Amino acid sequence: MTSLDTQVVVVGGGVTGVAVLRDLALRGVSAILVERSDFGTGTSGRWHGLLHSGARYAVRDQESARECIQENTVLRRIAPHTIEDIGGMFVLLPTDDPAYAPQFVAGCAQSGIAVEELTGAEARRREPLLADRIEAAYAVPDGGIDSWSLLRSMVADAEARDCLALQRHPVVGFERDGDRLTAVRVHDKVAGEDRLIGCQWVVNAAGAWAGQVGELAGVPIHMIAGKGVMVVMASRYVRGVVNACRKPADGDIIVPQHEVAILGTTSVQVPDPDDISVGPAEVDRMVDMCAEMVPSIGSGRVLRAFAGSRPLYKPPSAGGDGDGDTREVSRTFTVLDHATRDGLANMFSIVGGKLTTCRQMAEHLVDQLAPRMGVTTPCTTAAELLPGADHGHHELAGPLARIEADVAYGELVCECELVTRGQVRTAIAAGLTELEDLRRALRLGYGPCQAAFCAWRAAGALCEHASADADAEARLPDPQAALERFLEERWRGQLGAVWGDQARQALLNQSIYRGIFDLEATGEYDEAAAAGRQRQPGPARGDPTQRAGAELVGESEGRPRPRPAEGTA
Amino acid sequence: MRSDVVVIGAGPAGLAAAARLAEAGRGVRVIARGNGFTHWGPGAVDVLGRAGGQVVERPLDAAGDLAAGHPYRLAGVDALRDGLDWFQRVAAGAGLDHEGDPERNRRQVTALGTLRPTCLLPAPAARELAGKVAVCNFTGFRDFSTALCARGLERAGLSTTVGTVDLPAWNHERYFTAVELARALDDDGFRARVADGLARAAAGADVAVVPAVLGLRRGHEPWADLERLVGLPLVEAAVAPPSIPGLRLFAAWRARLEALGVRWQFGFPANGVERAGDRVTAVRSEGASRTIVTRCDEVVLATGGIAGHGIEAYRDGTLAEVVAGLPVQGFPDRTAFVSPRFLGDHPMGASGVRVDAELRPVDRSGSPVYANVRCVGSLLAGHDPTVEGSREGVALATATRAAALLAPALEGTGGR
Repeated sequence: MTSLDTQVVVVGGGVTGVAVLRDLALRGVSAILVERSDFGTGTSGRWHGLLHSGARYAVRDQESARECIQENTVLRRIAPHTIEDIGGMFVLLPTDDPAYAPQFVAGCAQSGIAVEELTGAEARRREPLLADRIEAAYAVPDGGIDSWSLLRSMVADAEARDCLALQRHPVVGFERDGDRLTAVRVHDKVAGEDRLIGCQWVVNAAGAWAGQVGELAGVPIHMIAGKGVMVVMASRYVRGVVNACRKPADGDIIVPQHEVAILGTTSVQVPDPDDISVGPAEVDRMVDMCAEMVPSIGSGRVLRAFAGSRPLYKPPSAGGDGDGDTREVSRTFTVLDHATRDGLANMFSIVGGKLTTCRQMAEHLVDQLAPRMGVTTPCTTAAELLPGADHGHHELAGPLARIEADVAYGELVCECELVTRGQVRTAIAAGLTELEDLRRALRLGYGPCQAAFCAWRAAGALCEHASADADAEARLPDPQAALERFLEERWRGQLGAVWGDQARQALLNQSIYRGIFDLEATGEYDEAAAAGRQRQPGPARGDPTQRAGAELVGESEGRPRPRPAEGTA
Repeated sequence: MRSDVVVIGAGPAGLAAAARLAEAGRGVRVIARGNGFTHWGPGAVDVLGRAGGQVVERPLDAAGDLAAGHPYRLAGVDALRDGLDWFQRVAAGAGLDHEGDPERNRRQVTALGTLRPTCLLPAPAARELAGKVAVCNFTGFRDFSTALCARGLERAGLSTTVGTVDLPAWNHERYFTAVELARALDDDGFRARVADGLARAAAGADVAVVPAVLGLRRGHEPWADLERLVGLPLVEAAVAPPSIPGLRLFAAWRARLEALGVRWQFGFPANGVERAGDRVTAVRSEGASRTIVTRCDEVVLATGGIAGHGIEAYRDGTLAEVVAGLPVQGFPDRTAFVSPRFLGDHPMGASGVRVDAELRPVDRSGSPVYANVRCVGSLLAGHDPTVEGSREGVALATATRAAALLAPALEGTGGR
């Protein structure tokens, strides 16, 4: 067993944990982050991509609203390259309670959120596909943010300052001496062995899984997993974020993201944060609700559906679990000092919160931790720009403009997401050998064709790279098996969303892979999924037992299966 | 507008039915939404590649053993044999020789390096792979990877080398498609320069595999010429759509239909019918500014299944035939459309219109819905053309059967 030593171990590679790692790094503290799977495969990668203005919370949860607008401003400064500066709008439909509108405007004003009432003509100029009848529309400074891009930038910043972030290293236990944790035991899934990381402090930033980490350390943390379902549409529909101007409810937001629109969301308490199944009835509900704001969505093409688990925290004093609607639980965050709370001297947990406030969450936590460590360096994460920030805001047409401007930019491997062969080659040269990793790194296969044309091109690029490099050759998965794995992973998120044009797309894709290429199922995929074990050894594989790594429909035991429609015959 | 027969759809089934009916002297009008499966397929004639999950070696024998509702059982194996024979004659007459024997399946090499079972192969895909195989691509053609193809062929037990052919200067954008490259290879001078590079890239090999892009508008001539110039057997590998062999075939079909006097309405889908009693009296289709009504005696429906827009799949699990509102068996809910495995057998792929022995659509009780509508090709229930590899065979067999029913004078089989 190998061992490492550091001052602080941060558990959890979502945005919160990574933001904590960066905060520690900027204060000169040595730290190691451990993540059970890939960065952002939990809640941070399973959401709609909204950079909150805070307006969503302005009526009922002004503490969250204020946090959001502050951090919205900070992120636009330190991480503009991860943000699409598209603005947002709240629309009041004839069926909505008109009394909500003045409360909304007042709440925004009290929370410091710039809100501007739009005329009908102006609202329609900004969003031509809006419903014919809207009673009122308000512009707010919402935006779109790419959490994977933000994660990569924060990790790069922390690693440039001698901190370390380990993927595929789940925590399996803690070493304890009296009232102190002395080391974190992790399992290196690549090497297949445990590692011990000696440390003075532990930060639990495992989000919806914080309760499970707490249990390993012997401290009870009552997390509530609030499942949110999202539906991906095949085109953007809207220029900016469109919200329903009503008390937060199902299907009240449309976020344009890269080439698609994401409809959100539900909020249902589930017993297990890994329960992220999506039924067809939930997909229908999202589509129908959002179509009230933008009617063409109702006849539009759904690409896929997925769900994420909100990391909601309920303090012990807050009473029962309610009726299952988790919207009543505050979206603000809480730092738990387990020394005062549980008599465990050197562990903190950070729970609750949301992506928009990840930096602020980290600051609050480290502000409590640092004095205990004797560190007096103040937080600088709001001032220091992230790597890549000099590129300005991300713009949808940016990749196209680069391709147009630069003859050498190269051919497209993925037309939907404008991924070039050069980008694929660079990623492969950096060590990615699985198509799934290329997807997360490059957005390969995200678009409307759902990998009809890019996956085999990328498989070709993998083979070409391997032919030129003996090391790569040794690590290269069998291309036909790799294609099968990738296609099956992509398929899982589509199961509840196949009808209309997407049914045609599915059959076309099958006629390409199975018809033209004669790619036959090996059966390995089924066996591995049934056994709940890793399908492919090596650094590039997610663990199928950790279901947050992929977008799943109808999955609850590592093995997809069709779900009956809910509430219909 | 009026026509003896309206054929709806311009995929393999609609094209074959229109040609055979026109040959028999019927007045035919083709109404098509757009290109059919010729453009999307592997560019071969599949008859029956797999049955019960097993690779089929003798497709005609296996076709006769299929379940009773299968299109081959309805059209009859004789109609299949006749359709294939007719196809080979007509294609050869258009400069598109197809090799193979309906009694025995062959193998078609693909860009993935797999060897897919099929029945008739266009001559450029039909050379035997033996000895040392050079897998070659043209610089900048992104839809073929020599390394990927070679790896697959090695997996299949073949010995390979790889090579790249630099293209002479030509007029194209920064990157180009199979269609542009195929068109360039129609040019004698361009091809001659490519031949030098290909000979170098494939030096020492016994046969060369290249992507299926060797010429577009001159049939198999550019391939044959290149083979002579290079001095090696050349094999075109099936690549992802658009299919150049399919485009060649489509162009030949279309020329033949026009020569036979078939009228052609392309790009405006049929969207309804007019009826009197149990007969369709006219087909309605979209026009540039108004609905076009084409009166007719007979209708051949060749609109394809869900993939071809012949059937719409709704989110509640129901299915609907889009032109004549024919009955189609739906599903309890939409999750039943698909298999939990992408590479599995999706139930919706085998859905379609049920017909009687004369290819007339039937209702739940088995009675014909219309007396003068015949359904052909992938629109038919009881088969999954992708999973079983039967698309062109079913198209030819059912088109042959429909033509025999509608033109009794037609020489062939399966007539009244």
